[in-house]
Amino acid sequence: MTLLDVDGLERSFGNLVAVDGTTFDVEAGEIVGLIGPNGAGKTTTFNCISGVIDSDAGTVTFDGEDVTTVPPHGLARRGLVRTFQQTRELPTMTVEENMLLPAPDHPGERAWHAVGQTGASREREQAARERAMELLETFDLETMVEEFAGNLSGGQRKLLELARALMLDPKMLLLDEPFAGVNPSLTNEIVDHIEALNDDGLTLLIIEHELETLTELVDRLVVLADGQVLATGTPAEIMDNEEVIDAYLGG
Amino acid sequence: MTDLTSRIEDLPGDAVHAGLIAVGAALLFLASPLFVQAPSGSLVFFEVGVLFVLYAMVLVGLNLQFGHAGLVNFGPVAFFAVGGYTAAVLTAEDPFQGVGLGLPWPVGLAAGVLAAMALGVLLGVSTLRLRDDFLAIVTLAVAEIVHGSIITFRDITGGTNGLQNVPQPVAGTTDAGGNAELVSTVLVFGAFALLFYGLFRRLSASPYGRVLRAIRADEQVTETLGKRVFRYKLVVFVYGAAVAGLAGALLVFYNGAASDTFFTIDMTVIVWVGMLIGGAGSDRGVLGGLAVIMSFQLLTRFFNDSIPFVTQDQFASIRLMLIGLLLMIIIKYRPEGIWGNADRLGVDS
Repeated sequence: MTLLDVDGLERSFGNLVAVDGTTFDVEAGEIVGLIGPNGAGKTTTFNCISGVIDSDAGTVTFDGEDVTTVPPHGLARRGLVRTFQQTRELPTMTVEENMLLPAPDHPGERAWHAVGQTGASREREQAARERAMELLETFDLETMVEEFAGNLSGGQRKLLELARALMLDPKMLLLDEPFAGVNPSLTNEIVDHIEALNDDGLTLLIIEHELETLTELVDRLVVLADGQVLATGTPAEIMDNEEVIDAYLGG
Repeated sequence: MTDLTSRIEDLPGDAVHAGLIAVGAALLFLASPLFVQAPSGSLVFFEVGVLFVLYAMVLVGLNLQFGHAGLVNFGPVAFFAVGGYTAAVLTAEDPFQGVGLGLPWPVGLAAGVLAAMALGVLLGVSTLRLRDDFLAIVTLAVAEIVHGSIITFRDITGGTNGLQNVPQPVAGTTDAGGNAELVSTVLVFGAFALLFYGLFRRLSASPYGRVLRAIRADEQVTETLGKRVFRYKLVVFVYGAAVAGLAGALLVFYNGAASDTFFTIDMTVIVWVGMLIGGAGSDRGVLGGLAVIMSFQLLTRFFNDSIPFVTQDQFASIRLMLIGLLLMIIIKYRPEGIWGNADRLGVDS
């Protein structure tokens, strides 16, 4: 079953065509890598899919539904959740607050429940807190609960951002360069987490620069160049593709 | 200091319950033949006290907007003024100049709140999707436009003469003299201020407040985590407008008149300085800050009499400079304010 279908996506900034008819799809349960040289339009494609910026043309279909014009909060609720290239923890909030924030369908986030201090709000908060602790234990952050997220190390922030996205119980995660600026042992740790999540049925689309880590992790690679899909295939197929090698080496 | 802060924040009891009891008691007191006269010489404290509780109501809304959600509203006085003048125009009876419809005061009170909310919706819808600093500029400009309009449209507002013969529902409950009505006003308005503090405190202390603080930290991330950021910003902006409009209406019902001099930028400066000195985002701290700044104004008023060769006008300017100096010292040496939390505000101290 196709979970994410991107068809003819286009986006320009002034005269610069960043995404020029990108078309690819992701099957449920897959891990797909999105690669390409600098300026190939990877992040812009990501931003268009996740609704952070509007696309000029093309459609995005998620889980059988046209979500091209759905705003980011709507996508998050439908189960399509993204992370950012630069880690974006909420530094002025504690680790626990970072984790509880995304809890979906929280009655306490409506003014009436907040002022009335309703039981429904308390119960949801309790359930969210239990789920948050589970995830924090999985990601070895359980000792940092009360710490402000701004005081965490770079690696801990990466893990927090991943754990936080999981609070939404996503069907699919879009990860923007999860291994950028990450030391080898943390890279391995993140890879383990991603594989474990995938085993549990999570679908992932990962932008990456560094091919080595990615080729071992993903089922399939989509290669972008000049805003278009140059090739798709298994990592082995892509590595033997002359066009891809030329694009990367600037030939 | 942090120890004290956490102790203050953890005080038992809930301000909503206390506020409801206080409002009930204050209304009973009004209905009863009882009265309390202000001791002679204390008049000025009660006058400043009335202003303090009204400004406190405005500040409670402003702190939810800025301290929690990060919305820079530099024009709280605009909503304060719209609430006040709407109430005055609807309820004044045969004012010397301007329009007075002579309607009952509850109508004026409700209309004052609604008018301020309407202005909040208008500004919010047009500005809150833009970058942060636009809101600051627009609110600042709107406050000046509102003040200018009050003076210009004198056929409606009475211009610089103001609007007289506005009903005084609280003062009307006692004829004991000796400024008993002033004491009653402080009690009733203070009770309502406590209630609104409690309501806004519950908002900020709940998951609702967590969303607001996330918006302050990073709007885009909050949106991608499934929150309707624009709606939260708009609603918070309108809540603040509503409570400011209410405070403005209460001010004219206390004075029995509306005047443009009640609604100058000075009011915006006082509540903002109070919020920054107390510590934006600390619900109790900002009220402490407001108390500090208003006490400072009150005390320096007494000094004026003992300093020779300085006229009252000159002294007013000097006082403003001193407030500016105080603000600069706070921002330099304690950017989170006296009771604020540096980690939450993301400032280094």
